[in-house]
Amino acid sequence: MTDTTVAGAAAVPGSEPPSGDVPVIAAGNAPAFPGRRRTPLLRGRGLTGLILVAAVIVAGVAAPLLAPYAPEEQIRNANLLGPSWQHLLGTDEVNRDVLSRTLYGIRVDALIVFIAVPAGAVLGSLAGVVSSQFAVADVVTQRVFDVLLAFPALILAIGLTAVTGPGAVPIGVVVVALELPLFGRLVRTATLAVRELPFVRAAEAMGAPRSWVLRRHVLPNVAEPVLVQLALSMSGAVFIDSAMNFIGIGVRPPTPSLGSVLAASVANLHSNPMYAVGPLIVIAVLVLGCQLIAQALTADRRRAGA
Amino acid sequence: MIRYLVRRLPSLAMVLGAASLLIFGVIRLIPGDPASILAGPDAGPDTIAAIRHELGLDQSLPAQYAHWLGGVLTWNLGRSYIIGGDISSLLGAGAGNTVLLTSASLVIAVAVAVIAGPLWASTRRPWLEHLLTGVNTLAIALPAFVTGVLLILLLGVLLPVLPSGGVPPDGLLADPTITVQYLLMPATCLALPLAAVLARYLAESLRTEMSQPYVATALAAGVSRRRIVTRHALRNVLPTSLTVLGLQIGTLLGGAVLVETVFAWPGLGQLIEQAIIMRDYPVVQVLLLLSVGVFVVIQLLTDVVHALLDPRIRLGGAR
Repeated sequence: MTDTTVAGAAAVPGSEPPSGDVPVIAAGNAPAFPGRRRTPLLRGRGLTGLILVAAVIVAGVAAPLLAPYAPEEQIRNANLLGPSWQHLLGTDEVNRDVLSRTLYGIRVDALIVFIAVPAGAVLGSLAGVVSSQFAVADVVTQRVFDVLLAFPALILAIGLTAVTGPGAVPIGVVVVALELPLFGRLVRTATLAVRELPFVRAAEAMGAPRSWVLRRHVLPNVAEPVLVQLALSMSGAVFIDSAMNFIGIGVRPPTPSLGSVLAASVANLHSNPMYAVGPLIVIAVLVLGCQLIAQALTADRRRAGA
Repeated sequence: MIRYLVRRLPSLAMVLGAASLLIFGVIRLIPGDPASILAGPDAGPDTIAAIRHELGLDQSLPAQYAHWLGGVLTWNLGRSYIIGGDISSLLGAGAGNTVLLTSASLVIAVAVAVIAGPLWASTRRPWLEHLLTGVNTLAIALPAFVTGVLLILLLGVLLPVLPSGGVPPDGLLADPTITVQYLLMPATCLALPLAAVLARYLAESLRTEMSQPYVATALAAGVSRRRIVTRHALRNVLPTSLTVLGLQIGTLLGGAVLVETVFAWPGLGQLIEQAIIMRDYPVVQVLLLLSVGVFVVIQLLTDVVHALLDPRIRLGGAR
């Protein structure tokens, strides 16, 4: 993170630093301890989390190689079979292989989460930066966020899909709508706090342009809390995405998703107890992995701040 | 106190007003004419026009909004399109079940947190601390329907000791022991994330509290750690924990939709899920507004309790 920040700032063309010293001090709290600050994701909890999330993504990407059957293939004489070597997780109520459906289900969910959350983060951060700079925009965005935050997450999802109907895109829209106020508030608060720090005020006093200060000093310092929130939001998005699929307002059948496989399993557990196990494990691993990453990043920030 | 409330009310009304406008607008945006859906495919234009008139759909949008909002405020909620019957009677039937479920899970959550929090804060055994941290992370992060399906699989199917879902056949009030059996899994499932957040907060604030001088004094005087925690430290951190509990109650609302769906519990959560699947928009509309209303009011109540406990907020000096 630190490296990209420094490199990115140095590479900005046409930005004239008002003094040679300020950017070096300002470029982050990292350079003095390069080894320590760079690795929260490559050891301990962070690494565990990263491996868990990566394993699920690999399983999803490699679904065509790993899955023994096509996700929508109906197999003759295979109604609600229990686990066997042909069907490790058994088959479902319309003769499809549960393991294959679970593996393919990862793809839809991962795609939604890994596109919608960053999109929401970028849009929300932009809104946060804008509202920290202009008073009028601030009032408007804060009121919009108030209303968005007045809806419990799943209730907002239900309201939005009432208009759009179920589907993958509505899930993405819901995730973006949920992330907007989170990142917006976070970036706004962090930006306002950083702008009060002495080195930023010094840069402004020396006549640095506002946009330059923002890019060079404020954004690098806001990046860390945003990263933590990103990991937490991924976990939350897995939740919302699979919840929407679970209650039937998500991806349309017969396309499998983790939530819909899980929902279909509830009524059939007595015939095939393994039906639910696949999606249960995958959702748990994804959510836990994101949480571990967030915890590792938070712990690292806390240590660095101390 | 009253002045604090008065200061908060306008923004509350504004958020609720905007939310109601949003919900109304969103439902109007839905393609398809409710009157022709209601009349069925064979109805002639006269019938549809009559239904349009009856539903007030021939009026202007502001008039429709005013009519709807007036109806909501006077608890005159209108008719359901598809599920059938009066919306207020549908709500009445579901509300009791949901209130029972959520209050049971509140009791479970508080009980678990009050036991696990102090244990977590005061344990000296590393394995226990790691175990509690791990269980806590899982309980916070796992969606309610995941724990729900897991519980059904374990306690309903593999080791059939509890009913997998539904409500007691003779009604909830017939036999309390049977009701408890039906309630146990859904309530636990709904309580788990709440209990975890609360336990974590309790543990963290207890750790801070245990470094206070009076604790050192009590320890030096020979009072046992357990007694210090239960008699002194816990009492000091409970009020602020109430606020955390209040803020988390909102998550129970979303959780209830999932848990009631998993366990076929006929409450408001299941009603909204059915209404959305069947595209019964008047019901969706009212339930959405209701849940936003409850959510916002709970947030206000939480702030009020907090303000009662902390005069700085009440007087608005610092902010």
